[in-house]
Amino acid sequence: MSDGGSVDVRGVVKRYRDTLALDDVTLHVPGGEFVTLLGASGSGKSTLLGVIAGFTEPTSGSVAVDGRDITKVPPYRRGLGMVFQHYALFPHMTVWDNVAFPLRRRRVRGDELRTRVEQALEVVGLGALAKRLPAQLSGGQQQRVALARAIVFRPRVLLMDEPLSALDKRLREQLQLEMKRLHRELGITFVFVTHDQEEALTMSDRIALLRDGRIVQAGTPEELYERPSSRYTAEFLGESNLFPGRDAGTVLVVRPEHLGVLPQGESLPQDHEAYDCDVREVVYLGSGLRVEVELRSGQRVVARTAARGPHVPKPGDSAIVHWHPETSVVVSDDE
Amino acid sequence: MTAEAATAEPAAPAVRRGLPRLDRWGLLVLPLVGFLLAVLVWPLTAVLLRSFTDPEPGVENYLAFFHSPVYLDVLVNTFVTAGLVTLVTLLLGFPYSYLMTLASPFWRGVLMLAVLVPFWTSLLVRTFAWVLILRDTGVVNELLPGPPVPLLRNLPGVLIGMVQVMLPFAVLPMYAAMRGIDRRLLQAAEGLGARPAFAFWRIYAPLAVPGVAASALLVFVSSLGFYVTPALLGGPKNIMIGELIVQQLSGVLRWGFASALAVILLVVTGGLLMLMSRLVDLRRLLGGAR
Ligand SMILES: Nc1ncnc2c1ncn2[C@@H]1O[C@H](COP(=O)(O)OP(=O)(O)O)[C@@H](O)[C@H]1O
Ligand SMILES: [Mg+2]
Repeated sequence: MSDGGSVDVRGVVKRYRDTLALDDVTLHVPGGEFVTLLGASGSGKSTLLGVIAGFTEPTSGSVAVDGRDITKVPPYRRGLGMVFQHYALFPHMTVWDNVAFPLRRRRVRGDELRTRVEQALEVVGLGALAKRLPAQLSGGQQQRVALARAIVFRPRVLLMDEPLSALDKRLREQLQLEMKRLHRELGITFVFVTHDQEEALTMSDRIALLRDGRIVQAGTPEELYERPSSRYTAEFLGESNLFPGRDAGTVLVVRPEHLGVLPQGESLPQDHEAYDCDVREVVYLGSGLRVEVELRSGQRVVARTAARGPHVPKPGDSAIVHWHPETSVVVSDDE
Repeated sequence: MTAEAATAEPAAPAVRRGLPRLDRWGLLVLPLVGFLLAVLVWPLTAVLLRSFTDPEPGVENYLAFFHSPVYLDVLVNTFVTAGLVTLVTLLLGFPYSYLMTLASPFWRGVLMLAVLVPFWTSLLVRTFAWVLILRDTGVVNELLPGPPVPLLRNLPGVLIGMVQVMLPFAVLPMYAAMRGIDRRLLQAAEGLGARPAFAFWRIYAPLAVPGVAASALLVFVSSLGFYVTPALLGGPKNIMIGELIVQQLSGVLRWGFASALAVILLVVTGGLLMLMSRLVDLRRLLGGAR
């Protein structure tokens, strides 16, 4: 039942006078998926979204939706929904007129116009505020209006540039859930931009991690978290511990939840790798403990362990930090 | 998204209305009040009184004005000229201001300077320069083929001179208003299916209206009081009321009649502004509280 359009970005380069904002980006977004463009500020996320939306003309490369090349199609004929971080509501129009705007451009009139605007406002829970001006709404409400305006004309792809970044944490988490629900209900393709790795992990079917205008790695949240291909990915997503790899140019990544901490002298589980260490800090997190230890080399390592058990580490203890080799990943050292 | 979810967060607070509370800081406006009393209220009162007392008590001065079609013509001509100046100034100033918002900082500076430099030159010098440029043997007619086009001692001459003087007054408020408009709204509109021209017309232009109206008001009211420019560039048919007042004051020494003319100009202007404020919210145009 996929109503979502697939998006294909092929070999896109975008050069500004002295910066290479996008450096040969190729990305396939299957129809109906929730894909997140993740990256630090300045990594090229907005530029890539702008190229897809048609606001930014690529220096070279092409963009296709459902296999149809739209590189030369102006934005007003692409029919893609777009939500901005700054909401971009028309300040002189009521909520109702804002949402009706894209429908009127498509010559929807009369009863159908009314029903569809009301439906879209219902979907975002703002039916009661239709007569207000944007300035009379809170940030969260404004972003809901922007969302309603972007989906009311039933685009097959919805593009969102850091739509939640201007909101406070509680509201952001609430809207994250609502967007996931909206994605399920509409069945359309979402291309979502964020710099927040946690947001990317919780919301996406797929993540493309950008760095300096290039896609470092693309895959499911699980793939990126469990099997990062490079040190950059490992460090960008979640917490990670790095140990020297066997070969030059590689490092070993172990996630804190895969590390165990045992008192010195206890016998190690079979096949485990281990380092001697001193426990420096123990923080109770409710769900477990966050244990920070210092290796003999001086390196700090973080482990997450159970809060109960025979060996609860205390600061100052001499200990062994250990892990099963299968839980570690060898990645290229691209730092 | 549920209705509860939408109402869980408080709406933006309502805009506070009413007069600001006076405190000791309010006393700081006293010098300004004194200044206004001295240079505005008192002379105006004096003019008003004189129009009814000079040369003798009564409404003679006003009757004289309304009895002669010549004077009424001057009044009408004043408002027509000011209206035309406003129209032409806005037609030139709007694209100019818009261009300034698009230009790079360097070119914006150049454009700003180009508007302001004439502003810093003496009005008299500028007006005489126009005489040299526009006369039959002037630069313009030298360049144009055929017999000289009359550009002096007529309405086009007056318009050219006055528009140039008023242009900064139109550009500065419009530019200020346009600079505050978020151009990303145009992008959003295009993303929603609007052609660029439509987006400009439906999104940008309405947001620029307060700036345009402020400019129009400023230019129109200022234009009503011109007299040097129409006197030097206009012909006998282009006399404006300011010129008439000067004539009566320094030429024929009819101070009472000159005062009556000033009062009439003031009253008609005030009446027009009131009429306008019924049509549009003046306080909003002038950037007052909403
Ligand atoms: N219009 C522009 N002119 C010049 N450089 C730009 C422009 N837009 C973006 N850039 C540059 O391109 C790079 C990527 O920017 P952007 O896509 O906005 O990053 P992100 O959205 O990931 O923070 C940055 O180095 C930025 O400075
Ligand atoms: Mg960005």
